[in-house]
Amino acid sequence: MEGALHPMRLKQLLHFAAFPKLNKTHFIFRNTRSFSTTRCASPSSSPTVAGARNRRPSSSQTSTSDREAIRAIRIKKVEELRSKGLDAYAYTWKRTHAANQLQEIYMDLGNGEEAACESDRVSIAGRIVARRAFGKLAFLTLRDDSGTIQLYCEKEKLLSDQFEHLKTLVDIGDILGAEGSIKRTEKGELSVCVTSFSILTKSLLPLPDKYHGLTDIDKRYRQRYVDMIANPEVADVFRKRAKIISEIRKTVESAGFIEVETPVLQGAAGGAEARPFITYHNSLGQDLYLRIATELHLKRMLVGGFEKVYEIGRIFRNEGLSTRHNPEFTTIEMYEAYTDYESMMNMAEEIVTRSALAVNGKLIIDYQGVEISLERPWRRETMHNLVKEATGIDFAMFEDLTAAKEVALEMLNAGGDNQNKSSIEACPSVGHVLNEVFELVVEPKLLQPTFVLDYPLEVSPLAKPHRRHAGLTERFELFVCGREMANAFSELTDPLDQRERLEDQVRQHKKKNASLVSEDKNKKVDGDDDAYDVNLDEDFLTALEYGMPPASGMGIGIDRLVMLLTNSASIRDVIAFPVLKTPQV
Amino acid sequence: MAEKVSAKPKGQAKKHAAAEKHAAAEEEGLDPTQYFENRIRALASQKETGGNPYPHKFEVQLSIPEYVKKYESLNSEDRLEDVEVKLAGRIMNKRASSAKLLFYDLHGGGAKVQIMTDASKSELKGEDFSRFHSSVKRGDIVGIVGYPGKTKRGELSIYPKTFVVLSHCLHMMPRQKAGPRGGAENTKTTDVWIPGSARNPDAYILKDQETRYRQRYLDLMLNMEVREIFRTRSRIISYIRHFLDEREFLEVETPMMNMIAGGAAARPFVTHHNELNLKLFMRIAPELYLKELVVGGLDRVYEIGKQFRNEGIDLTHNPEFTTCEFYMAFADYNDLMRLTEDMLSGMVRELTGGYIIKYHANGLDQDPIEIDFTPPFRRIDMIEELERMANLNIPKDLSSEETNKYLVDACAKFGIKCPPPQTTTRLLDKLVGHFLEETCVNPAFIINHPEIMSPLAKWHRSKPGLTERFELFINKHELCNAYTELNDPVVQRQRFADQLKDRQSGDDEAMALDETFCTALEYGLPPTGGWGLGIDRFTMLLTDSQNIKEVLLFPAMKPQDDPSNRESNKKTQDGPLPQEFEKKATVT
Repeated sequence: MEGALHPMRLKQLLHFAAFPKLNKTHFIFRNTRSFSTTRCASPSSSPTVAGARNRRPSSSQTSTSDREAIRAIRIKKVEELRSKGLDAYAYTWKRTHAANQLQEIYMDLGNGEEAACESDRVSIAGRIVARRAFGKLAFLTLRDDSGTIQLYCEKEKLLSDQFEHLKTLVDIGDILGAEGSIKRTEKGELSVCVTSFSILTKSLLPLPDKYHGLTDIDKRYRQRYVDMIANPEVADVFRKRAKIISEIRKTVESAGFIEVETPVLQGAAGGAEARPFITYHNSLGQDLYLRIATELHLKRMLVGGFEKVYEIGRIFRNEGLSTRHNPEFTTIEMYEAYTDYESMMNMAEEIVTRSALAVNGKLIIDYQGVEISLERPWRRETMHNLVKEATGIDFAMFEDLTAAKEVALEMLNAGGDNQNKSSIEACPSVGHVLNEVFELVVEPKLLQPTFVLDYPLEVSPLAKPHRRHAGLTERFELFVCGREMANAFSELTDPLDQRERLEDQVRQHKKKNASLVSEDKNKKVDGDDDAYDVNLDEDFLTALEYGMPPASGMGIGIDRLVMLLTNSASIRDVIAFPVLKTPQV
Repeated sequence: MAEKVSAKPKGQAKKHAAAEKHAAAEEEGLDPTQYFENRIRALASQKETGGNPYPHKFEVQLSIPEYVKKYESLNSEDRLEDVEVKLAGRIMNKRASSAKLLFYDLHGGGAKVQIMTDASKSELKGEDFSRFHSSVKRGDIVGIVGYPGKTKRGELSIYPKTFVVLSHCLHMMPRQKAGPRGGAENTKTTDVWIPGSARNPDAYILKDQETRYRQRYLDLMLNMEVREIFRTRSRIISYIRHFLDEREFLEVETPMMNMIAGGAAARPFVTHHNELNLKLFMRIAPELYLKELVVGGLDRVYEIGKQFRNEGIDLTHNPEFTTCEFYMAFADYNDLMRLTEDMLSGMVRELTGGYIIKYHANGLDQDPIEIDFTPPFRRIDMIEELERMANLNIPKDLSSEETNKYLVDACAKFGIKCPPPQTTTRLLDKLVGHFLEETCVNPAFIINHPEIMSPLAKWHRSKPGLTERFELFINKHELCNAYTELNDPVVQRQRFADQLKDRQSGDDEAMALDETFCTALEYGLPPTGGWGLGIDRFTMLLTDSQNIKEVLLFPAMKPQDDPSNRESNKKTQDGPLPQEFEKKATVT
């Protein structure tokens, strides 16, 4: 690597690396238009000359070989620091303040004023994200966890040759610790007037200049840390995520719920209908499934005598990726003995509104241009009524499956929708038809928070039959912005009924598998078949036979809630390291 | 509180025992299948007559602990007939005094209260009353509307007007077998177990470990203490979270499915994503991702979550286990030792009321030992102390052939076995286990590990060849592992390369290179202290558990139909903990 670059080219290159083009994302800060570049390296470590070629002047991305060159130069700087007895990778740094704390404390300091008492001596640390150097003066912008502050570096005020070091050895991207007094510049920028500093960590790679560009969307997720350095608001999403989860915990714990941990690796994956991940335990010599829900184990806790339990944890589903789906995602599931789904509706309202207030301070929020009001109470309407309202069809009238399908298909035809015909035709019951029509026609329209009540029994294998309406269950789903946010029911406690329903589910699943297999034969689809096995969780059924108290339970998709409350378009924006389509090289 | 509820005057107990025998006798004759079928039939006939054996809702006013708290100060024979209370819970005992007078024990929320059911006070009259109550079985979940009072003998009770079965126990509930400890199944320790005190699982109503772990709900129903174990677990996690939140740490979630299983040395679980046709590993540690977030500018992060290791199951290992890892920018391992002392001693004090806990370190048949969490904890410089204790003079260049040979000889001299490959790392590990870890009963930090043992830790600022790392040992087990993080990417790559050498010489526990992580370091990781705690193991200490299965609600179990497993399981449970265990399994 050493000595492969022409000094002129190097200088230019560092320029690009160190001062990315300004763009509409907030990468570089105010007042950075006129700056001089730093010298690339001290004479002693200057690489020797080699052939030069023209650089693309407006490249938005540093090419690999350039990165390697910069890396080599910076490794030289590390060596140089060491040769001077300085450490390029310090052990620790005592901070007195975070940047934002200083901004607050000295809010009233006037332009041009200094605060130079003993008590105004501060020590801060963070990453250098911008720099301007003049003859005997340099301005650096330092960013830490809390925000940014300017470092005002005057040659006279710095010890011995520190100013030289600042110019020759410090690059944008380095992590610095600095001490000094406080002043506000004439231009109004609060600054630490640096008397001494040390390089805490030397960065070897240049910060990228543009990470919100379309071409880099994959890289943003893949190298989340770079995304966060380049776009501080990205980190805010994760701060809010933490706050939301913390608020959910507070809400349920103040209601007396206790947190438990149930297994991720299971002998049978139950509690939902989804393709599980399969793994193999060597010493047990046994296939294990990754959980697709926490439901069946949490219900065992109710059998065991815990009356209010919850678990916030990771769920795994072996399904495709989308803006709403990641193979692993986080949910809260909660179960409360001696209550029914009515009380879970109140709990859902409580959880969502408290989370919204915690991160946004208000209940009117904007989601991707749609104004959403989370003011309580939220609309509560049955699925039958919502479908009737949207289509004019009252599915409660139908006893006969064929008749129900005919009407549904007619309605779709009238709307010019031919795509979803097959999904209606595949429905094995009136309940399925109703649910299908609901999903196609009503769901996307449920923008404001709505509880959809009383799902058909056929699509709700773990919910208790409705106490008044045959064929329905005491179940609700919460929709906001056309998306399912929560799913809850009065839990089915009758072990015989439960066994029948699960057996029925297994039968239906097998039937579907069989038809897929025959389809596969016809189509000769390449790759994995879509079939997977569903097994009865006998242990769960046995637990029910010991008696589970009447109870209600609810699951909330935390990633989707975070998306809603942080106005994020994709689930990838709220998961720090999402799974991506193209494998990493 | 529990003393008042559960301690029964002797005379009454005798009478109850007699009645109980009678009630039990009518069922004991049945085999479990017959019993189950009878109950199914009873449910079916109830459904046929239009009844709903599983009511949707019973409005509960007070939990049983709240009820006990509210009315325990009543005097004997006080009856508040004007007060209406609604309670629900599980019937764990039924005693018929006569056809018109029955006693039940109603359990819920970790407490119990007696139901004194008198035909004259019931809504049901005559035959209906007897018929109904003969259908109520031990294990059923019931709702009671009645008034509070105390019996002549001072037992807090509820006197029902309405008595509804909400859910049915279709199986015969296990009973305590009559034995030398006395047959009455209600024999219970009168004190509520508190964290940090000793437990005695031998006195449990349900003793069989297989049943306890496989059907945890039975364990929870029958052995009141078990509930407290899991409440303690929850409180430990909650304390840690609170402790870190207070210090402005941010809780984050990193992937459990990885392209490379990094951050530790262990055999991972492998799985497959169908649509992406992608091989994925279950994480063995969150370390590398968490450090990437610190690179990204989140200065203080933590994650409490599951890790997965595809290893054997024993007293201290379960394939999935819970850890807390935190990373703190601008802190070093000295700061973290102080933080560890604050966190753990503070937690022990909050949960147990003091710094000293009792633990059956040498098996249940020996007296429990005391473990003292009073800070500060002892600090043991690994190599220095090892040389002193074993009278060794280990060559300074730890990576040399010479050292390796020296240590092989040392192990031979002390009769310490080190199965191949005999890498210097493994030899040192055995020696440290033998000489140092054995001395760590009260919490103690073993510090300054050699570089070759610690590929992710930073070289020591003043001791060549060593790192700034500590492990916290309590009761001879590793609980925490922490270090000043190695943030020099060039050195990090070199360390990974050295690990590769160990791998090639047959140590499959050596770490693999994670290129993504090394690149992240090149963007600059601030000076950072990183820390990991094995939560299951800490919970074991505070709950006097010698088997990790005691603190996991649903531990991984060996396949069921193998009687040899049962035996070996029991044997190890009672014996002392193995002298040695693999360190890697706790954290990072």
